[in-house]
Amino acid sequence: MNIEAVMTAILSAALLSAVPLVLASTGEAIGERAGLLNLGTEGIMLVGAFSGFWVSLRTESLALGLLGGAAAGCLAGALFGIGCVVIGADQVLLGLGLTLAGGGLTAFLFRELFGSSQPLLPTSAGRPFNTLAEHLPVIGPGVFGQKWFFYVAWLIVFGAELVMRRTTFGLRIRAVGESPQAVDAVGISVTRTQCLAATIAGCLAGLGGAGLSVMELGFFQPNVTLGLGFIAIALAMLGRWTPWRIAVIAIMFGLLRGLGSGLQLTRWDVSPDLLQLLPYVGVIVALILTGKGLRMPSALGQTYAQRRRRRPATGSATQE
Amino acid sequence: MKRCVSTVLMIVLLAFPSLHIAMAQADIDRVAIITPASRTNQAWDQQGVDNLTAAGEELGIDVEVAENAGYEDITPILQDLVDDGSDLLVCHASGYQTVCPEFAESSGVPVVVIENPGAVQEGLVADIETQAQEAAYLAGVLAGLETKTGTVAIVVTGEPPTWNYMTVGFAEGLHSVKPDAKLLYNSIGEGSYDDAAGAKRVTETVLAAGADIVFGQGDGAAWGMIQAIRDHNEQHADAPAKFIDVIGDKSDSEAKDFLLTSVLFDYTATYLQLIDDLEQGTFGSVVTMNVENNGVRLLEPEIDVSEENWAQVQETREKIVSGDITVSAIGDADGVHNRLKELFPDS
Repeated sequence: MNIEAVMTAILSAALLSAVPLVLASTGEAIGERAGLLNLGTEGIMLVGAFSGFWVSLRTESLALGLLGGAAAGCLAGALFGIGCVVIGADQVLLGLGLTLAGGGLTAFLFRELFGSSQPLLPTSAGRPFNTLAEHLPVIGPGVFGQKWFFYVAWLIVFGAELVMRRTTFGLRIRAVGESPQAVDAVGISVTRTQCLAATIAGCLAGLGGAGLSVMELGFFQPNVTLGLGFIAIALAMLGRWTPWRIAVIAIMFGLLRGLGSGLQLTRWDVSPDLLQLLPYVGVIVALILTGKGLRMPSALGQTYAQRRRRRPATGSATQE
Repeated sequence: MKRCVSTVLMIVLLAFPSLHIAMAQADIDRVAIITPASRTNQAWDQQGVDNLTAAGEELGIDVEVAENAGYEDITPILQDLVDDGSDLLVCHASGYQTVCPEFAESSGVPVVVIENPGAVQEGLVADIETQAQEAAYLAGVLAGLETKTGTVAIVVTGEPPTWNYMTVGFAEGLHSVKPDAKLLYNSIGEGSYDDAAGAKRVTETVLAAGADIVFGQGDGAAWGMIQAIRDHNEQHADAPAKFIDVIGDKSDSEAKDFLLTSVLFDYTATYLQLIDDLEQGTFGSVVTMNVENNGVRLLEPEIDVSEENWAQVQETREKIVSGDITVSAIGDADGVHNRLKELFPDS
């Protein structure tokens, strides 16, 4: 057996399969930083996966498919934001509703549009750094042999990290999740900030779903995410709402998952079921090790009633 | 008076057993099938639904489908189907082995289960044995004759009896023509029938390990295996891999370019027989689908396979039908692992 080829396949698959998870989880982290717990990530990913697949199929363009998936995710995220921030619906109920609706709607549409056929998208996509892949064993093909979306996705995650850490907008999001009253008191709209955060979170979850259906798999099936949205929520917390931490954990999760498959090839006398537990055991161990001192955003899950403002006659104080 | 009438009835029934059987006969207007996943997955679930629909059309009876039922407690769904007037329930998953016979006992409505001969009960529970090991043996023979690298892989979405029978059958078939082959066996995860991403990842791993033929046993997940092979073949046009599917016929899909064959299941004749049994009052037996009755068979390859190799597969089929070749029927996971080690100790 070519051990190097197997290790390359495991690394390559782990990195690629981490992409939808990291995108959705980064989105969830942004939303949670703004105080919004969106349990509808799974549903939004499904909506993004279906939309991305459908657009790709119709336009024969993978890039347009990804954009379509992201746009559908934005819409679903905005609906979530409006529902719980403007209308004041319960975040948990609305999120679970989104998950159920996303799963049901996409399964229904898929059946209506495609019946019992299973269209497949082309698997060929540009691999911009393929020429660099040969120079390093295992890591070369694993890292540089990926499709272009892989690098775009990691750029987005890197960008999210910068925005959250280094920009005023990122600061506002974090502040809203910690103390909406304080943010409100200085005249920043909590409603607008939270709605925007929910929309961005939806865009990333939708893009993650589209990444799965368009780039990783090349097809859509009902419930194709298989709980990835819920893993993304757990990952956001495990990564302490920080994109780079989330990325590291997602890759480790993917590697442990791949390791399970790789170890089966060695005919190691252990039940395959036990080997498949590896990534989940890894998550539990990571939770135990890193869980100490884990502090959630103070206003996470709480509905904040925006103060009504009156234009002050002379000063700058706001009143109810 | 009432007591008198019932006593007379009892005497008549005891005296004329044939009349008793005649009273147990039933007119079937509607049958229902319950599947764990989508009826359009071009695999296990779809095959059951399509075949029961075909049987229903032939007999002129209604067929109701309850799909995507998963593996939780399906009792409420079964009750709904009965309330809607179903006279027979086909529980189309080995995961329903326990719940369906229990429901039959409590409701009195006959059910059909998969791979649970121990549950068979006269008038209430019939069992279908989809022991496709014989057809899988033929697939193994074809894989052994067609492999270029000498490495063949089996990828499964769990280890239910139906998959296990086929795994062993395939391995024995491969061993019969190429005992020095390398056989890679990889399970995606228990009950991961629709884990397409997992299937793609695992298939990529076995392809990287040198396999050029993948025998994939999955439902929706099979599409993940197909995409992995498509991807592989695009990047390795000089050494393309081939796929062997199970249950359905995907030869009109994108897989046609590398679909070596498929172990096809056809339940139509089985369902017709079971409905007839119910109407005749003889319901409650084990019905086995095998190569001889064409309940399971091998799809004729549409890609380039030498006539010599295909003829050898046909010869092997005749030997199985005549009893010259006996294929092991191993349904438990430990038994599968042990048999694989026996056959291919160096893999």
